[in-house]
Amino acid sequence: MKRFIHFDELARDSRFVRQDSAANNLLAMLPDDVDTVVDVIEKFDPIIEASVRGTAAEPLYEEYGPAFQLVVINEPILAGDPKLTERLQMRVHGILVGEMQALEGAARSLWDFPDAPWEFKMNMARQAWDEARHVQIQEKLLQHVGGEIGMYPESTFLFEAACSEDPAMRVAGVNRGLEGLACDVFRDMMRYGVAARDETMTQAMDFVLADEITHVRFGSEWVKEFTRNDPEHFARTQDFRREVDRRFSLGGARSASPDAAIQIAVQDRLDAGFTKEEIDEIATLSAGGPSKDTLQKALVILRERHEARKAQASAGQSGAE
Amino acid sequence: MTETRLYPGSGKGERTSFAPYSAFDIPADLRRLHGRFDVEAVALRVRNWRYAEEWTMMILGGWVATVPELPVKTGLGKIIWDGAVAADTLGKRLPELRCGTRVGQQGSQPANQGFASFIQEISAPERPDQTIEKLTGVFDVLKPHLIRVYEKFNSETDQICDAPTIELLEDIVRKTRKHVAWGHTILSELCKSNAERDRRAARIAQLTAQLAGCGGVTGEEAMVSH
Repeated sequence: MKRFIHFDELARDSRFVRQDSAANNLLAMLPDDVDTVVDVIEKFDPIIEASVRGTAAEPLYEEYGPAFQLVVINEPILAGDPKLTERLQMRVHGILVGEMQALEGAARSLWDFPDAPWEFKMNMARQAWDEARHVQIQEKLLQHVGGEIGMYPESTFLFEAACSEDPAMRVAGVNRGLEGLACDVFRDMMRYGVAARDETMTQAMDFVLADEITHVRFGSEWVKEFTRNDPEHFARTQDFRREVDRRFSLGGARSASPDAAIQIAVQDRLDAGFTKEEIDEIATLSAGGPSKDTLQKALVILRERHEARKAQASAGQSGAE
Repeated sequence: MTETRLYPGSGKGERTSFAPYSAFDIPADLRRLHGRFDVEAVALRVRNWRYAEEWTMMILGGWVATVPELPVKTGLGKIIWDGAVAADTLGKRLPELRCGTRVGQQGSQPANQGFASFIQEISAPERPDQTIEKLTGVFDVLKPHLIRVYEKFNSETDQICDAPTIELLEDIVRKTRKHVAWGHTILSELCKSNAERDRRAARIAQLTAQLAGCGGVTGEEAMVSH
C-alpha cells in the first residue's frame, strides 16, 4: 500500500454522489464585490448543475440557480425558518461527509507516517475511532431530521485542503483547521438544538463537540512537538493552517459576524489550545471574503439570470414544437 | 495426625482439599511453578506480538480511506483503537521484563524477515474493489492466528510468575475474538457469489501458506490449517 493518497482516491459506496470541489474552493476565495461574485459563480454554473443532478439539491438549484449554496450555507439554521428542513438536512449531511473525511485523514496518518512517535499513533488511532463513531452518530441524526445518505453531493475539499504530506501540517490542517471548524459547527448545532428543544440533537452534538475539542488539543500539542526547535517549520505550518482556515471559512459562512451562519466557538477553541491571537486571526481571515450584503445582492442577480435562462429555454422548446 | 478436610461439596478423590492454614482454611494452590519460557523468551515474544498488533492497526488505518463500504469504514475505527491499545499494553510490559531500557517502550520486532514480508503482503491490496482481499488477510488469517498463539502461550507460560502477561493477553484475546466475529460477518455479506467465495478462499490459502513458511508471529509456531 502506498503512502499518501490523492483526494480523488477516497472510496465511497454507491449511495454517495461526488461533487467537484472547485466550487467550494472558489467560495473561499471570492472578493467582496458583487460583479466578481456573479461572474465567477456563473462561470462554474455547468459544474454546479452537473454535481446536483439527481440529488436533493436539484430543486434548490432549480429555484435559486447556481448560487443556491449561498442560500443554504450562508444562512443560520433557525427554528421556524420555512427552509428549515432543507437547511438542516444539508447541514447534517455536510457534517457526515466532513466526519468521514476527518476519519480518513486521521486513519491515513497512521499509515502515512509510520516513523512518527508512538504517542502520536495512539492519538490518531483514538481519533479514528472517535470519527468513526461521529459518522455513525451523524447517520442517525440525518435520519432524525428526515434525510438519508447520498441525498446531497459530497465535496472532498476538506480532505483536499487539510491532508498535507508533512506531519506537522497534517495535524495543523486536520486537527486544528478541520476539527476547529467542527467545533464551530457543533456549537452552532447545539444552539439550534436548544432553541428547537431537540434534545436528541443537543445531546449528541454535545458529546461530539467534547471529542472534537480533544482532537484539536492533539493537533495543538503535535504541531508544537513536530516543529520543536525549528521556528521556520513552525512558521510554514502556521501559514498552512491560515490557508486552511481561510478556505474553511466557507465564504464568510463561518465568521465572527453577528449574523454569520456559523459563529466562531471562541471558548471551545480556547479550551482546545488555540491562542486568543489565533482566534482573532481566524475572525480576520473569515471577514476577508464577500459580506453578507454582497452575497445577497449576487444571489438576486444570479437568480434573475437563472430564471431568464429557464424562460428562454422553455420558449425555445415551445417554438420547436 | 491431622485429617485432610475436604472442600465443601467435593469428594475424597478430588485434589481440591484444604490445608490447615493459620486462622483460615483456604483451598490449596494447585498451580505449579516453571513454565515453558524464561523472562528473556517472554520479552522476545511480547516484541513479536507488538509488531503484529502495531502493523495491523496501521494497515487498517491506511485502508479506511480506500474501502468504499461505509459500515466497514466505521467498523474499522474501533478495531484500530483496540489494536493501538493492545500494542501499547504489550509495549508497557517490556520494561517489566527487563527489556524496556534497551528497546524503548515500543520495542516492536518481527520474529524474522519472513513474518515482516507476510505483514507486507497483508497490506498489499489497496484498490477499492479489494475489500474482500483486505479483510480476509486480517480477519481470516492474521487475527485468528494471533488468538491461537496467545492462548497457547497462556497455557504454557508460568501461571504465577508470568501472570501479568497472561492477564493482558486475556484482554487482547477477548477483544480480538470480537474483531474476528465482526470481520466474518462482513465477509459473509461481501462473499455472496461463488466467484467472491473463491477470492476469499484463494487469499486464505495464499496467506496461510506464507504464514506457515515463516513460522508465524514468533517464528516458531506449529501451524494449524485454517
